[in-house]
Amino acid sequence: MKFFYKPSLIKWRITKLLRIMRITTLLLLIGLMQTYATNSYSQNTKLSLKMENASIETILSKIEKISEFHFFFRSNEINSNDRHTIDASEQTIDEVLNSLLKDSKLTYKIFDKYIAIVSKENANGNIESLIQQKAIFGKVTDQAGVPLPGVSVVVKGTTTGVITDNSGNFTLTNIPENAILQFSFVGMKAQEVSVGNKTTINLVMAEETIGLEEVVAIGYGTQRKVTLTGSVASSKGNEIQKSPGTNLTNNLAGRIPGLTAVTRSGEPGADGATLRIRGSNTLGDNSPLIVVDGTPNRGMERINPSDIENVTVLKDASAAIYGAQAANGVILITTKRGSLGKPKVTLNMSQGLNQPTRIPKMADAAQYATMLNEILYYKNKAGGRNQKYSADDIQKYSDGSDPWGHPNTDWFGEVFKPWSSQNQQNASISGGSENMKYFISLGAKFEDGYYKNSATNYKQYDFRTNIDGKINKYINVAFDVAGRQEMRSYPNRPTGDPIFRTLMHSKPTMHAYWPNGTPGPDIEEGDNPAITTTDATGYDRDKLYVIQSNLRTNIIIPWINGLTISTNASYDKTFRFHKKFVRPWYLYTWDGNADHITTKNKKGFDGPELSEDMADGQNITLNVYATYEKTFETKHNIKAMVGTERRSGTNDVFSAFRKNYISAAVDQLFAGATDQYMSNDGSASHNAYLSYFGRLNYDLSKKYMAEFVWRYDGSYKFPTAKQFGFFPGISVGWRISDENFWKNNISYINDFKIRGSWGQTGNDRIEEYQYLATYGYVDNSTYVYGTEDNKLLIETKSPNINVTWEVANQANIGFDAFLFNNKISVSADYFNNIRSQILIRKNASIPASSGLTLPPENIGKVQNGGFEASIGYHGEAGEFKYDISVNGSYSKNKIIFWDETPGIPDYQRSTGRPMGSALYYEAIGIFKDQAQIDATPHWPATQPGDIIFKDVNPDGVINGLDRVMNEKSNMPRFIGGFNINLKYRQFDLAMLIQGAAGAQLYITAESGEVGNYYKDFADNRWTPENTDASYPRSYNRSDEYWRSQGNTFWLRSTDYIRLKNFELGYTLPLNVNKILGIENLRIYVNGLNLVTIDKSKVLDPEVSDGSGWSYPLQRVVNCGLTLTF
Amino acid sequence: MILSVIAILFSCEKKDEFLDKKPLGDYSEIDVWSDPALIGTFVNSIYRNALGFPFAIERLSSYADESYFTHGWGVHDFNKSLMTSDDLLGWSVDWATPQTLHFFWNPFYDNVRRMNIFFSKINSVEADQSVLDRLKGEVYFMRAWTYFYLTNLYGGVPIITKAYSLTDNFMVPRNSYEDCINYIVGQIDSSAMYLPDTYPTDGHVSKGAALALKARILLYAASDLHNSAKNSIVLGGFSKPELLGYTSGDASLRWTAAKNAAKALIDLGKYSLYKGTPAINDSVAQNFVELFTSKGTVEDILLQFFTPKTDEGWNGYDPGLFEQPNGYHGWSSNTPLGDLVDDYEMKNGSKFDWNNSVHKANPYVNRDARFYATILYEGVKWRERPTDALAIDPYSKIQVGAVYNNSGVVIKPGLDTRIGPIENWNGGYTGYFLRKYIDPVVDFQFVKQDVPFKHMRYAEVLLNYAEACIELGLDAEARKYINMIRTRAGQPDLSVSLSGDALRQACRHERRIEFAYEDQRFWDIRRWMIGDLAYHQTSRVDIRYVTSETNVKQYRKADGSTYGNPIFSKVELDGDARVWNNKCYFFPIMRSEMNKNNLLVQNPGY
Repeated sequence: MKFFYKPSLIKWRITKLLRIMRITTLLLLIGLMQTYATNSYSQNTKLSLKMENASIETILSKIEKISEFHFFFRSNEINSNDRHTIDASEQTIDEVLNSLLKDSKLTYKIFDKYIAIVSKENANGNIESLIQQKAIFGKVTDQAGVPLPGVSVVVKGTTTGVITDNSGNFTLTNIPENAILQFSFVGMKAQEVSVGNKTTINLVMAEETIGLEEVVAIGYGTQRKVTLTGSVASSKGNEIQKSPGTNLTNNLAGRIPGLTAVTRSGEPGADGATLRIRGSNTLGDNSPLIVVDGTPNRGMERINPSDIENVTVLKDASAAIYGAQAANGVILITTKRGSLGKPKVTLNMSQGLNQPTRIPKMADAAQYATMLNEILYYKNKAGGRNQKYSADDIQKYSDGSDPWGHPNTDWFGEVFKPWSSQNQQNASISGGSENMKYFISLGAKFEDGYYKNSATNYKQYDFRTNIDGKINKYINVAFDVAGRQEMRSYPNRPTGDPIFRTLMHSKPTMHAYWPNGTPGPDIEEGDNPAITTTDATGYDRDKLYVIQSNLRTNIIIPWINGLTISTNASYDKTFRFHKKFVRPWYLYTWDGNADHITTKNKKGFDGPELSEDMADGQNITLNVYATYEKTFETKHNIKAMVGTERRSGTNDVFSAFRKNYISAAVDQLFAGATDQYMSNDGSASHNAYLSYFGRLNYDLSKKYMAEFVWRYDGSYKFPTAKQFGFFPGISVGWRISDENFWKNNISYINDFKIRGSWGQTGNDRIEEYQYLATYGYVDNSTYVYGTEDNKLLIETKSPNINVTWEVANQANIGFDAFLFNNKISVSADYFNNIRSQILIRKNASIPASSGLTLPPENIGKVQNGGFEASIGYHGEAGEFKYDISVNGSYSKNKIIFWDETPGIPDYQRSTGRPMGSALYYEAIGIFKDQAQIDATPHWPATQPGDIIFKDVNPDGVINGLDRVMNEKSNMPRFIGGFNINLKYRQFDLAMLIQGAAGAQLYITAESGEVGNYYKDFADNRWTPENTDASYPRSYNRSDEYWRSQGNTFWLRSTDYIRLKNFELGYTLPLNVNKILGIENLRIYVNGLNLVTIDKSKVLDPEVSDGSGWSYPLQRVVNCGLTLTF
Repeated sequence: MILSVIAILFSCEKKDEFLDKKPLGDYSEIDVWSDPALIGTFVNSIYRNALGFPFAIERLSSYADESYFTHGWGVHDFNKSLMTSDDLLGWSVDWATPQTLHFFWNPFYDNVRRMNIFFSKINSVEADQSVLDRLKGEVYFMRAWTYFYLTNLYGGVPIITKAYSLTDNFMVPRNSYEDCINYIVGQIDSSAMYLPDTYPTDGHVSKGAALALKARILLYAASDLHNSAKNSIVLGGFSKPELLGYTSGDASLRWTAAKNAAKALIDLGKYSLYKGTPAINDSVAQNFVELFTSKGTVEDILLQFFTPKTDEGWNGYDPGLFEQPNGYHGWSSNTPLGDLVDDYEMKNGSKFDWNNSVHKANPYVNRDARFYATILYEGVKWRERPTDALAIDPYSKIQVGAVYNNSGVVIKPGLDTRIGPIENWNGGYTGYFLRKYIDPVVDFQFVKQDVPFKHMRYAEVLLNYAEACIELGLDAEARKYINMIRTRAGQPDLSVSLSGDALRQACRHERRIEFAYEDQRFWDIRRWMIGDLAYHQTSRVDIRYVTSETNVKQYRKADGSTYGNPIFSKVELDGDARVWNNKCYFFPIMRSEMNKNNLLVQNPGY
């Protein structure tokens, strides 16, 4: 920061703190102090003071002692011999000084707590004008009161300007009268302040959440929102940070219109959300492209949220800059960088607790035993209702009188803790000088599993250093390195099947632990989940090391004004080490005798077994692009960019296995037996891509805008002659609000822009080498001659030499509007995507007798259309500030063409219906009695209590022709979010209410003799006594036709609305910070998935597995603090 | 830096070279068809798809009147003849049933394509001719095998001999049954021409296997199901009878061909019955146990081997786990029906009879030796129990009954029942478990056994020969060959007065007993057209010990004796009232396949 001062103003003398001080410094201090005072101290402080015949100096000194005022004066201007008497009682400082100085040559000027005493002549009767001509001082903070360094403060119409320092302070001198200062800062709403007769300007800058000046990343460059013509949405890092989830993808739901994030599992380390931009568009892979700091295909899940500056989503043709990777949309993530000023340290620590959002409620032991009796009764009615359990047994299950023989086990209660721990710590330091800026962060995370003595947990350590250097006037470089270690621990048994499968199976009539504390029995194969969720069975640990680096240069070409050349080289390395060590575990059996002796039995493995595998992968991305930006005749703005990019990657995998360890004490390969079972394995893959791309922007006075983007992409996946594809996108925008007729008539809408775009992008997430005829080995199958397992070689691909990209035709029309002084922002988009050349196999129409597995051909076509809208409101009422925004998206797709078996009835065709549609029998009720069965077309051997299938065709027979295409899948069509941010004084509150609609889940349980029933089913099942039931009769597994044949009875809507996020924060007042010597301290409590309202009620509405075989989603309650100094 | 990036981007490689990558995980077509070792692994996959998963969790026995499938999965509905062209019920649930799934149109035609590719390429491969000949012989054999089972399932099917390319016309009509058999016989004759006379009995096919298969093919083709004089109740006026059987020609010529084919193998002189004439001190049952746990004997013609490492998924191969009782932590998957057990003769050749009070009181004594080698039953000593079960049953004897008090309440259930203390939901329903093919030495909890499955053995050829002789009226010759089987089993010879249909029934009975759980019965029921006799309400055994003692700590007393004599009774197996519908003699072609190929004609009844 530069100080401007006038030499003539030296030699002021002050007391107490500062003896001699330059006026500029003094005034700077004044400015600084004033920012801290929320109310004018001088106006509110009442002084009582009584002195006789005292010198002015003495009196002022006394006032300093009894108050917080400080006086500044030139000693030569004060006549120390003058004696004054003062008798003030509850007077303001003005009253005191007016009285004191009324007969002297002196006058005063109050800068809150600082008071200058000057001679009336020197001050020309007006000290303010003296100071004004010289300098203006101030401090810039954000809405939370945190100082903003790096804000540009410019005198309007001049080149005079400074940048705020690390504490947000600035000083400007030699400014003309009636100057206007322009304050601007990336991500903040720009402001202009008229200087007038002010000497200090303390400014609170508001975030540009709805602003026009916001700069958004668009791929190989940025663009100001005002001239943006594509459909682009973004969210700030500090918004995303409000969620305590440890996986970034789970913090995005409901924040960005058009982006669907559905969390399927809460398992530590495996809890990534399924991301979709504008729903599903293809029968193939629908996952969007993730670009982190300009490098495509970096994962986003494990990025430390507090490293994120912002997340931008390219939804339409604007994504065409990424060409063949862009058809499913692009998510651009930008990490934080350093800014000018002294080192600023931020610490963030939080401690949370997690638990399942919902555990399925299961039938109790008495209910379960009764239902098993019913199954036997339905098989053999003559045997009566107590073929397996007597009434006495059921009574004992119910009353708990026989804890050994008749338990009533709550399995989820036995296996899960009420709460599990998780915590996150981050430290970052940022700052820099003109020539070197840095942002360095360190992070650590820990997340425990739900299980008691859990073998499951996730640990992460990460760092990021983003360094910007200015080599000279023309050359900037940036060097970024980010690294992390992800450590996942799991029990040796897989989570879904068998752990959750057996948890669902586990019978309330079985013990998790015998009353004597020994582990209870298993369902089979040792699977007692109370034991298999711990590390008693061994462990399955995975360490993933990721290093991502970027080296960027930006060169301003001096001899061509407006031309810069940028390069980026990124080198990403991943290394994975996975180790699974399994060992026998022991379960106990009780013989049923009264001595209660339990006997142990070895389970799972005869001896320890170890498998290790390592994967080594790398990706290199190199690009160079030139940007030329020029304004002609002050209104024609042109920006052109052209570049090229090359990417390549390799991955090598190696693994080894041994078993028959003599001891479990050493879990290393060498200790295993060198026998016929020891083995090793390995594989490798590689890829290469080459691209050329460009973008041309034109706007006329920011009123009429047009953009053309293109990419010519080459991929190794195709035969040499067909490696390249061209993907263009165009968009136009018109800011009607800049037209005079609008300005004059609809001025309350400050800004209104309509946008339209069309583009073609590709989907390169397709199988490689489809053009080659290849043969490969079959996994997990052999044919044995004698004693040797022999490999099986099969034709893995019939070649399709014409294979090419999937092409997305994306059309979008939308508008952005700002109303009532930017208080309200509205944005809406309508889109229509047609994905063509989708790779599908024509197997549905080719007889199986051909034996051919046809190669995928580019013949599929899917249309997907919908809309998004968001409305935001920013308001203030005194110290109460609030931001409210609502966003919603709807998309619905349909298959226009794919291969379909000829001759099927129209109601079974999937063409013309959404992807994911499936055939189901239509359940229309439950047979009450035999008479009803006799009168209705029914499945053979139907009994009362069975589900009625509709005879759709209607031929009096229920068969495959009665199945009907059901149009819903487990991806929601509508998603929405309601964000509320409130701030009152030191308190802030954020809430995200998020919802989804239009998805369905097939909710069933594999119940019967194999395992338990949902309580909902048990409570409402059909029985001979309850023939008006909402559920059918007790069933055994898939024995009944309505269990083995997919039918709509089990399809449940998973529409939900949930309090996804809640955060309450308290920021310490600045005067307390001052005492503590810190810059900012905020403490907060927050939560994830706190309240859910839905219809399905059995499982969490976001899960994709309707049988409860997956690790439930998390509810998190978390508290933490953020400290900046 | 910038210069180097630009340099790399623009200069060092031409773009097309940079993008030209080759797969690192696959072989190219050229690699394969120039290397006999790779061709050999390709042929392995043909073996795998032809011979299937005979030791899978569901066995063909449970779809016939041999066993009951404990886990359900639709098998019981299949046995009620409920299959349709939309749904084969328990037959083709792909997640659970690799064995039956393999007996299905689609995978068989996948295999046909593999074999057709093989023949389209093999003649241009340059390699040692003896290696190529052997491979050709093997693939001819497998093509015969594959089409043979297609005809067993569907009748006449499209004979496809070319490896289709994408632009071919895939619409093909079904060939007549007769055409198919002629084609299959041609394939097996070619196979016999190329295959070596003998092969180490390691699972490869040999000339003997080709001759034995030919005998089986011709026997099936001659059977009633495909004989227009006998199969009218199945056809029910079907407009295309030639698809399902012979519509012309002389049945006796077909029987003669079957007889001659069997005789050709017999005359080869390379095979004989294992311990065909038991020595006086032999335990005949033990001979059978050895036969079915050995890795190969003089009797074996085609074996399918397994190793402890053989991985066919959780359900494809682990017979120890699948078949052993829950009291050993097994799954009791395919438990022998009471009906099968009751069909084992008494040692003296008389029939077992529940109405005979001596039999009823002690049903498991003095039975055909094959009973003891095939079935685990109440009280039989089996391998040592796992530790927890051993504490409950130190005698390691099968417990399928229960101890009752005087008022008829169970006070101590058997370990191997569905009310026992160990994994009882995996208990069997029938009161019996499978013994055949199970190696008691291996602890299936931790290690898979490696007993091979016997696809073809000499005993079958003898009975095939005998059956053909009976149909040709050569009763004495037939008795002679059946008696070879009975002698080895320690059973008395058939009465010389046995002839005609009685002899036919005796022969069929011998097959049922000799080949239980060997995947023969399912097909025999169909070709003999005895569906209505085989699919009915099944039975199980109920076993009770009744005592007035109150402190019953274990199923057996401390001295190993039981609480009184067991009370045996034959009872209905709940929920297994099987039903036969004549349409089920042939499988339906799936509706989707019918829709895809409009030249196909559906089988009657679907």
